[in-house]
Amino acid sequence: MVSGLDGDGAAHGRLLAALGGYLRGHFRKRIGPGAADVEDLVQETLLAVHLKRGTYDRTLPFTPWAYAIARYKLLDHFRRSGSRASMPLEDAGDLFAVENPEEGAVRRDVGTLLAKLPARQRALLRDVKLTGLSMEEAALRSGMSTTAVKVSVHRGMKRLQREVSDDDR
Amino acid sequence: MTTADLIEALAGDAAPTPPIAAGRRVAWAVLGGAAAAFAVLLVWLGLRPLGDAVMSASFWMKGAYTATLALAGLLLVGRLARPGARPGAWPAVATAAVAVMVALAALELSHARPGEIPALWLGQTWDQCPFRIVALAVPVFVGVIWVLRGLAPTRLALAGAAAGLLAGAAGATVYGLYCQETTAAFVATWYTLGIAACAALGAAAGRWLLRW
Repeated sequence: MVSGLDGDGAAHGRLLAALGGYLRGHFRKRIGPGAADVEDLVQETLLAVHLKRGTYDRTLPFTPWAYAIARYKLLDHFRRSGSRASMPLEDAGDLFAVENPEEGAVRRDVGTLLAKLPARQRALLRDVKLTGLSMEEAALRSGMSTTAVKVSVHRGMKRLQREVSDDDR
Repeated sequence: MTTADLIEALAGDAAPTPPIAAGRRVAWAVLGGAAAAFAVLLVWLGLRPLGDAVMSASFWMKGAYTATLALAGLLLVGRLARPGARPGAWPAVATAAVAVMVALAALELSHARPGEIPALWLGQTWDQCPFRIVALAVPVFVGVIWVLRGLAPTRLALAGAAAGLLAGAAGATVYGLYCQETTAAFVATWYTLGIAACAALGAAAGRWLLRW
């Protein structure tokens, strides 16, 4: 995003292409697959991201910014088609949740967050929360006891939550 | 047009884009709007004798109250102008300002004799004050909405309400240069009512005016 803001057209194109993929999945889940509207929404959102990119604050994570635009465009779509009046803001949780990195754009922000943890804890969190290994499998891989893994993962999650809520302020 | 074509076109149009200083733009709109409201006030109502006013605590109490609300509104608008930003602590600051003002009013009324209460509460101009505040808020509101349209608010009613709060509080600050009411009970009721009306109108108008 930042190189795109600085005028790197190729980077900007790569960002939009990647974002388009996530958006397609995101919108499909909410208005049904195969609807022609999905592609329109993707295009509208990409256009909005492009036109409004000056409102992105480089010191903040990219995902919430892009998600807010996608949500706005989706609400706008519902308003126009009159089919559904509201969409809960809590859905934003899907995108931020470490356990549910279905929208790959999140991975970058998650990576930034994870980088704040010690290497060992980071590897454990990645195994358990992102790759989806069980506590036992992760314990086997790291050579730690299952209990130690559980504690470490739990503390890591706590710390990440703290980091995220600090960012919000 | 396929999405791939669109992306290619947009990538070709990727001129360097400096971040927009949203707060600064809004602040300029407020200054411009407040200057316009001041001009309207001079022509419409004139000023109160300010020489005496600046010596009185009530003048500064009113000014501090409305300026605090305006500042909270300004910072709130600056946040809501960006997608994904949270309101933060500013709604709480505005609420706290109102709470302090209401507490002052309650203190004042509790010390008053029963016969004095209507005079303290209603003053001379209670039936005009809220409407005048709404009228004086219009220039700032227009300016702030215009700036917001160039940014990207995604919660339209909330952003509109914040713009209304900001405009109402700025309008009330300007109106304080005319209004000779001095009691906390008056300010806590009628000023707050005028500003709240602006916020409500802003929320309703924002849904339409801020679409993009």
